[in-house]
Amino acid sequence: MTRDIETREAIEVPVTGLRLRGTYHKPNMGTQASAGAAEKSKVVGLLFLNHGFLPRAAPGDSAVGWANALAEDGYACFRFDLPGLGDSDGEAPNPMLDFVNGGGYAPVVSALAKQLVERFSLSGIVIVGHCAGSVTALFAAPLTRECHGLVLTDPYFFLPRERTRFRNELSEWTSFSRLGALASDLYYFLRHIRLLMRRNRPPWNANLPLLRCWNQLASAGMPILVLKAPALRSRDFKPRIGEFDYLNYLRAMSGARSRVTMEFIENTNHSFADDRGRAAVRESLEKWLGANFPARRPAGSERSSQAARASTYEALYPR
Amino acid sequence: MVETLRQADNRAIEEAGYFEVPGGHLYTVLHAVEDPLARVLLVGPFASERHYSYIPWVRWARFLAARRIECLRYDYRGVGESTGAFEEMSFGDWVEDVRLLADWFKSRSGPAPLIVHGLELGAVLAAKNFDAGVGDALLLWAPPASANHALRSTLLRRISVDQAFRYGDERRPASSYIAQLESGETLEVEGYRWTARLWRDSFDLELPQGMDDEHAGSLNSERPIRSVKLGRQETPLIKGSSVGWEAISKDFSDLFEDNLEWIIDSVSVHAWGNV
Repeated sequence: MTRDIETREAIEVPVTGLRLRGTYHKPNMGTQASAGAAEKSKVVGLLFLNHGFLPRAAPGDSAVGWANALAEDGYACFRFDLPGLGDSDGEAPNPMLDFVNGGGYAPVVSALAKQLVERFSLSGIVIVGHCAGSVTALFAAPLTRECHGLVLTDPYFFLPRERTRFRNELSEWTSFSRLGALASDLYYFLRHIRLLMRRNRPPWNANLPLLRCWNQLASAGMPILVLKAPALRSRDFKPRIGEFDYLNYLRAMSGARSRVTMEFIENTNHSFADDRGRAAVRESLEKWLGANFPARRPAGSERSSQAARASTYEALYPR
Repeated sequence: MVETLRQADNRAIEEAGYFEVPGGHLYTVLHAVEDPLARVLLVGPFASERHYSYIPWVRWARFLAARRIECLRYDYRGVGESTGAFEEMSFGDWVEDVRLLADWFKSRSGPAPLIVHGLELGAVLAAKNFDAGVGDALLLWAPPASANHALRSTLLRRISVDQAFRYGDERRPASSYIAQLESGETLEVEGYRWTARLWRDSFDLELPQGMDDEHAGSLNSERPIRSVKLGRQETPLIKGSSVGWEAISKDFSDLFEDNLEWIIDSVSVHAWGNV
C-alpha cells in the first residue's frame, strides 16, 4: 500500500479536530520538475467539493475525470470529502439539507482551502461546487481570502425542503399521467401569475444570505463560472414557467465590475456525468481557467507512458 | 469475550492508500486495529451503487473497527478512486481484485481469521473467491443470483429516471436499452459506459450454488457462510439510486449488531482453529 502514486496522492487535512480525507491530483509540470519544484511555481489549485451527499468521486466518477484532466493541464486539483461524507471523519449533519443551505460547511471549506494553499504553496484556490456543493462554495468564498474564483455547476438559490413521500408520489403522478401533467401545468401557470404580480422580486423561499454572498463576490469582481444543465420543462437558461429566474436576476444585480460567466450545457442532465456533460464541463473549465488563471505547464512536458495513455484516454472519455 | 467485543473502542486508524494491481491501482482504506480478533474484507456494490451506499458502508467499517475487527474496503478497478478505465475492466479483473487484496490482508501481522464480506454485486465477487478457497468465513448482504441481476436492477432505475425527463414517444421501453447492449453497442448508465461485453459476461457470473439461502451452510460448513436479504428499509445500503437526503443519517444499528454477533460467533466457534 502506498499513499502516493505517480499522478495522485491520498491526503488528510485536520480541520476543527476532524481528519478530512481527499485526493490530490498532482499538476503536470513536466518530467524535469520534482514535486517541490511544482509547488514552488505557484500554480492555482482547484478544490472540488462533494456533489450533495455523494463521495468526492461524484456520479460516474466525473469529478475524478475533471481533476485528472485539469492536473494534466498544470493545475493542482484536490477533491475532498466534507465532514460526515465519504471517507472523512464525523457524522453527516441532520437534517443535512438545512445545514448546507444555511452555509454550515462554509467555515470547514474555508479552513481547508487555507491549509491547502499553505501546504502546497499555491497562488490561490478556485472552489468548484455542484448543486448543494455550489451553495457551500458560495458561502465559503467570502470567508476565504485565498479563494480567487468560483465554479458553480447547476447552483440553486432557494431553500428546498426535504421531500415527503407524498410529495414524491405526487411528482411521479405528474410525470407519468396525462391528467397529472395538466394539473402540474395549471399549478405552475398560477405560480407564474403570482411571480408577475411580485414584479420579479425573489420569492418567499429565496436563500437571501446566499444571494447576499453572490452580490458581495460578483460586485468585487471575483471570477465566477456558472454552468447550467437543462431542467424539466425549461428552455436553456430560462427556468420552467412559474419558477423564479434566479440567474437572470443575479446577472442583473452583479454590477459593472462583475466577472461572471454563465454557460448553458445542452443535452446533459443535472449530474453532468454523462458523456456530453463531462466533455462540456471540462471544455468550459479549461477555457475559463485559461482566461482567468493560466497554468504554467512547461511546453512539451511529458509524464510516463501510463500517465500519457491516461491523458489520451481522457481526451476521448474524460473519466 | 463477546461483551468485550461489543464495546466500542474508537482507537482504530484509517489509512487511505493505493494497492498495485495489474494495469492500475486500487484505492483502499484500511481501518487498522491493534491485535485484531478478525479481519473483514469489504467488497462493496457495483459502480453507481457505490456512491449511494457509501455513507452506511463506511459507518459499518468504523463500527467493526471500533470493536477490534480490522476492515479493509476498496474501490473496484476503474471505479471511484481507483485508477483505470471502467469500460476496459471485466468481471475477471474484479474477481481478481478480491483475491489480491485478501492475500495481502491475510498476510498482515497478527494472525486473525479473514471474513470476506460482499454487498450486492460485491457479494457475488466475494462468494466466487470464497468458493475458490479465499477466506475463513463469508458474509453476504443482498446477494443477487448473478451479476446480471445486479446490472439489470441498476439499469431499470436509470430507465425510470430517463423517463421522468421525457414525454410520450420519447420514452423507450426497457427492452430497447437491453437490445442496445445485446446488439454490441455501449450504454451510458449513471455516468458509467457499460459495454456489450460487460452485459454478456454478467450472465456467466453467478452466485455459487447454495449461497443464496439465508441459512446456507451456517451451521454445517467448515467455513461459516451467512447470506442476508436486504429490503427497501435498508436503503441506501441497497437500491441506493433512489435515495433522498432523508436517508443519509439512517440508523442501521440493528443490522450492524446482528451481523457483528454472527461475526463474533463465527470467529469463536469456527475459524480460530484454522488460523
